[in-house]
Amino acid sequence: MRETLRDLARRPQNGEYLEIRLEHTVTTSIRIHNATVERLKVTEERGGSLRILHPKTGWWFASFQGWDDLEEHVAFGLRSVVLLPQSGTGVIRGEGTEEEIRFSPREDFRGKPLGEKVQLLFAYARMLREASPFVVSAVVEYRDEWRTVYFANSDGSVIFWEKPDISLSFVATARKGDQIEVYRDGVAGKAGFELVRGLEELAHRVGKQAEALLFARPFPGGVYDVVLDPVLAGVFIHEAFGHLSEADFLSRNERLQKLMVLGKPIASPVLSVFDDGSLENLRGSSPYDDEGTRTQRTYLIREGYLSGRLHSRETAFLLGESPTGNARTISYRFPPIVRMTNTGIEPGTVSPQDLFADIERGVYAVEYVGGNTALELFTFSPAYGYLIEGGKIGEMVKDIVLSGNLFQTLGKIDAVANDFRWTEVGWCGKGEQMGLPTPTGSPHVRLREVLVGGQRHA
Amino acid sequence: MREVVSIAKARGIQADLFVRKVWEKSIEYEAGVFRGYVAREHTGCGLRVIRSDRRLGFYAFTLPCAPSEAVEQALEVSAFGDAVDFTIPSYPSTTEWKDFVDPRLEGLSVREMVEIGEYLVGQLKATHPGVLTNVRIAAGREERELFNHHEEEIRFARTFFEISIEATRVKDDDILTVYVERSWGNRDIDVDDLLKEVKLRLDLSERMVSVQSGQYPVLFTPSGCMVLLYPLLYGLNGRNIAFGKSPLQDKLGKVLFSSLFSLVEVPQEPWALGSCPFDDEGILTPEERVLVESGKVEDGFWDLWSAARTGRKTTASGFRRSPWDMPEPGFSVLKIKNGLRDRETLVEELEEGLVVDSLLGLGQSNIASGFFSCGVQLGFYVKGGEIQGRVKNVMISGNAYEALKNIRELSRDCRWVQGSILAPYILVEPIQVNAAS
Repeated sequence: MRETLRDLARRPQNGEYLEIRLEHTVTTSIRIHNATVERLKVTEERGGSLRILHPKTGWWFASFQGWDDLEEHVAFGLRSVVLLPQSGTGVIRGEGTEEEIRFSPREDFRGKPLGEKVQLLFAYARMLREASPFVVSAVVEYRDEWRTVYFANSDGSVIFWEKPDISLSFVATARKGDQIEVYRDGVAGKAGFELVRGLEELAHRVGKQAEALLFARPFPGGVYDVVLDPVLAGVFIHEAFGHLSEADFLSRNERLQKLMVLGKPIASPVLSVFDDGSLENLRGSSPYDDEGTRTQRTYLIREGYLSGRLHSRETAFLLGESPTGNARTISYRFPPIVRMTNTGIEPGTVSPQDLFADIERGVYAVEYVGGNTALELFTFSPAYGYLIEGGKIGEMVKDIVLSGNLFQTLGKIDAVANDFRWTEVGWCGKGEQMGLPTPTGSPHVRLREVLVGGQRHA
Repeated sequence: MREVVSIAKARGIQADLFVRKVWEKSIEYEAGVFRGYVAREHTGCGLRVIRSDRRLGFYAFTLPCAPSEAVEQALEVSAFGDAVDFTIPSYPSTTEWKDFVDPRLEGLSVREMVEIGEYLVGQLKATHPGVLTNVRIAAGREERELFNHHEEEIRFARTFFEISIEATRVKDDDILTVYVERSWGNRDIDVDDLLKEVKLRLDLSERMVSVQSGQYPVLFTPSGCMVLLYPLLYGLNGRNIAFGKSPLQDKLGKVLFSSLFSLVEVPQEPWALGSCPFDDEGILTPEERVLVESGKVEDGFWDLWSAARTGRKTTASGFRRSPWDMPEPGFSVLKIKNGLRDRETLVEELEEGLVVDSLLGLGQSNIASGFFSCGVQLGFYVKGGEIQGRVKNVMISGNAYEALKNIRELSRDCRWVQGSILAPYILVEPIQVNAAS
């Protein structure tokens, strides 16, 4: 296969940039719902894509299934790309590389009998259900995926990857009359089956938390000082800032470029933010991105100053900067676009306890339900929270959605603690491409005067 | 493909094979400049088997795949599958339905798509020079086939056409994004109407106004009212009802909402995107089905599995998100019943309130209980019957089930959202509004 790809990637004669990607993916998904196997499926997919940029026209991308007609796809693509309108775009070319990136998990999930997987999940579902009499629905959702990718481009790169991904999540729905609360937590990683063993305590905790939410009071809306736990702080930085640092948002927008000019003070000096796809074995990690560019650590904010952004080969070309290894795709069905990898807030020096001390009335927001962004505006929701009164953590509260504005909120971060940790379960959707693993990392962070939605106004 | 189910039949197993073939082509403009062309051609197959001991198995694959291997794989899975109470149905022998295929879309050339793109970009550039426009135009064809162990087969095909515009205006440190889309089964998307809608939103957003926190009447636009509809669709989902996760589980037949609110499913609506003669389990769809009638909840969405679980009948609501997924309860095409007066009149009579067009963080709240709290991505402040300008850094919160009780009026004019939900403007009072300043 490598020989064929090497040969095909050499076909361009007129300065075209060409990429071929072939994928084979086998996925097992199991969903245990109470005492039922609600879903159990194995799927196998073999497909590929071809992407060509002609120096005088635009991008031509085709996604197909089967690996048999590669010659024809390339010939047709090279003939067709010439006919497209002018786009005025280009790519930064790279050095060719030949690599084989293999992965040996401790306990390879491909070799596990289906029965063993199902049995383990049944045991978890029982624990989840038995954690509380209020739990009406206990869902254990398991997914393992083994993806192999062949990639070649006209810079002379030929890369072979093995990309395993495994995840397990617990979802408990607790009910009391008409009141329904859902709580979820789980694990995910670039790992083997060992990752999903020994999670009894987590299963129990998820059931208990769903129950606790039934008895928590809704948090009234208003403007508050907020402490984010490391999980939610990671989601916050992903939504509040990560997306606007993806250079495809501004690569053709001069006004936005002026607004986001490198070196501009954009946050309080306690804040430093990075994206790093080159870290070992996180779910967003890989030695190369999906355009064959080496991944790296990129500082987006350093001590409050805008210091970098995330690039594909194309956005780097348009802005006269360098590719950062952030072109990613969820599968052969889509072209790579600029995405985050593993994104984090650098740890500060104070202890997490210190963040609460001078908050008269506020909220400690914990874990997450989700987040969303529309350029400068964003929202993100903790799974639950606690009141902070007179510097002390008080009762549990729920129904909290935080919202903010990039240009105001980053300036209101006034303390960053020293207890950094990664959360791997997160994923991100952008455009049509949903479900890309994007771990986030952070310590506890304090934000002043955040707008919190709620049914009543405080 | 027939061979797969024949092998199953020979082995005494019930089976259905769902095959979905899609081709799609699309072009994109970024900041008013042509960016590229994307073509996709995919076929996905999902094989469902039920053994004689009622255990369910599922294996999904792409071609090529040896038929006997597919059956083996599905059987291997079924060893651990759930024992189910339904059987794979027989398919109707009639094939009287029409395919919704528009030859103008099948033959749509890249050049024609580029012409549309150039027109949209050019028009906006002429009237709103400071605005940068992203455009996506996509067209394609989808074919669904079902084969069962009775050796019956049914199929239908449809085309689709999607145009979306995202217009961005940056002024000082304010970034405004207006997103408008049209999706339909044939070529008849009115691009001028689409443009009109984008321009109107841009013009109304020229002025920024502030709003005090408090309770206001809110007029949800057709796309804005999805925040009220999504929790209701969760509640009507047969699977959620079967598992006791729906707040509506013991409320079918009861009056829960304003008598102004009625919701119907119209699975055979010509050219709407979800329309289909049968669902993804091969059950013929009805012409019209009442879900909510004058505030009374009449019925939910049931697939074979959830219907069997609760002793009901399927409502032809088994849909698959992709060929890789098993059927789950879902909807085809929905219509919210409209009112008697135009939206302009509703605005004119509004002493003070908001018009909410798009929200951030839908589904980020507790969709099961109906609680929502969302950032207003695009919304306008109304005073004395006139739109004063755009509001920013504002959230609205409430409970969708409560809000559906508190509907004051629905507009006469409606719009299709994502080509599959026809919705009017909905005036709800009161809604809690929280503002940053």
